[in-house]
Amino acid sequence: MNLGPAELLARFSRREPTFLLDVRAAKEFAAWRIEGPAEVTALNAPYTRMLAEVEGDDLPRAIARYVEANLADAIPRGRLVVAVCAKGGTSAFVAEGLRSLGYDAVSLTGGTKAWGDWYDVRAVVDEPDLAVLQIARPARGCLSWIAVSGDAAVVIDPLRHLERYHEVVAARGARIVAVIDTHAHADHVSGGRALADAVGAPYRLHPYDAIHPIDLVPARIPYEPLTEGVRVPFGASVLEALHVPGHTIGALALRLDGRFLFAGDTLFVASIARPDLGGRAEAWTPLHHASLRRLLDLPRETIVFPGHFSSPAEADDGGAYVTSIADLRAGNDGARRALGDLDPFARYILASLPEFPPQYVEIKRLNLGLADAVDDRAAELELGKNVCALAAPA
Amino acid sequence: MAEIQDDEVLDASGLSCPMPVVRAAQAMRGLAPGQVLRIVATDRGSLADIPAWAEDTGNELLDTRDEGGRLVFFVRKGSE
Repeated sequence: MNLGPAELLARFSRREPTFLLDVRAAKEFAAWRIEGPAEVTALNAPYTRMLAEVEGDDLPRAIARYVEANLADAIPRGRLVVAVCAKGGTSAFVAEGLRSLGYDAVSLTGGTKAWGDWYDVRAVVDEPDLAVLQIARPARGCLSWIAVSGDAAVVIDPLRHLERYHEVVAARGARIVAVIDTHAHADHVSGGRALADAVGAPYRLHPYDAIHPIDLVPARIPYEPLTEGVRVPFGASVLEALHVPGHTIGALALRLDGRFLFAGDTLFVASIARPDLGGRAEAWTPLHHASLRRLLDLPRETIVFPGHFSSPAEADDGGAYVTSIADLRAGNDGARRALGDLDPFARYILASLPEFPPQYVEIKRLNLGLADAVDDRAAELELGKNVCALAAPA
Repeated sequence: MAEIQDDEVLDASGLSCPMPVVRAAQAMRGLAPGQVLRIVATDRGSLADIPAWAEDTGNELLDTRDEGGRLVFFVRKGSE
């Protein structure tokens, strides 16, 4: 009786009431947990307490006893309970114990590790000459994109598990001709330089983002500068770079064939990017304001592919995190404020900044080749959901 | 560093979560308050779970060592 990350994500997208019983240690739960839309609630009940009194090897029975004595009122009946642990071993016993008490309970296959490493791949544009594929990492709220025209693919903002990109591009019978980071990322370890190396394609970045904004030290990785107005043709299509500083000083958005926009960290489906991760919120907010307005002045029918999401509820029914300039202007609070004057926008921005995650300084060092990390350290730095967007308005 | 004297050793090598904690809880029952259980495990989940279990159950984690993938914990039984 298991449920995999794909099915859990599908439940989140459908906003089905789901109860997550996370049995990891309290510290692990506090550091990072699975988050879903409002219909999803979570409770931490460490298994180390459930099993502290176990006699012999009947773990489900011991768990059932513990639940009856301590959690009977806390775990709801009448909706699915998903038991969650680090790797899926313990949660299987927990789900079995819960079922013996009559709960509708399953175990998350592979635990939080499998959820954290899960990539959701889907085509959001699938035309004869052009496909756009969304590669999402739901646990982190990170979106990356692959545009394919003919046998040529461009990968935008790849994350560090490169095999996903190789698989997806190969399945389309294409090869990667360029890898672009829309900006130097601070919230996750980029796969950009490594993917470009693996396929012998150029790695492209705006030169302003090749200087660490806090350290003021230039990147030690090679990159090909991508600047305002530069066109990147592939197959029968073409990407055009727009320099849209604000979230970072070298932030790019990429227009595709005049119809689509890879927005990077500017406009998200339900929010806008924060301008303070370079440590200069007040200086960069006017740039951010001008950049957002520039993007919002693109043709209203332009389809927008953002760099992040904050909640799975932002996806459409098909799981795509896609919006349009028209919808952003009408329904995105941050975008609507950007269309107004600078002063109220700046006040709004400076009042909505979430806490600055200290590890973001180190992540950007990794991404610019100024530090090295083994996989474990990269995973530790990346723990939890990105906070590249402004906080939800109070 | 001074070697910690143990009163009993639990070898939980090769066991995966939740068994290292289950065996540790069972082994601890045979000890008197103040005695020390040395737990050897290879499941890296133990790094979070053994300390959490020790804290929750009123026992004291004296030391944790990572000897090239072989994880060694010293836990002193509490007085409860």
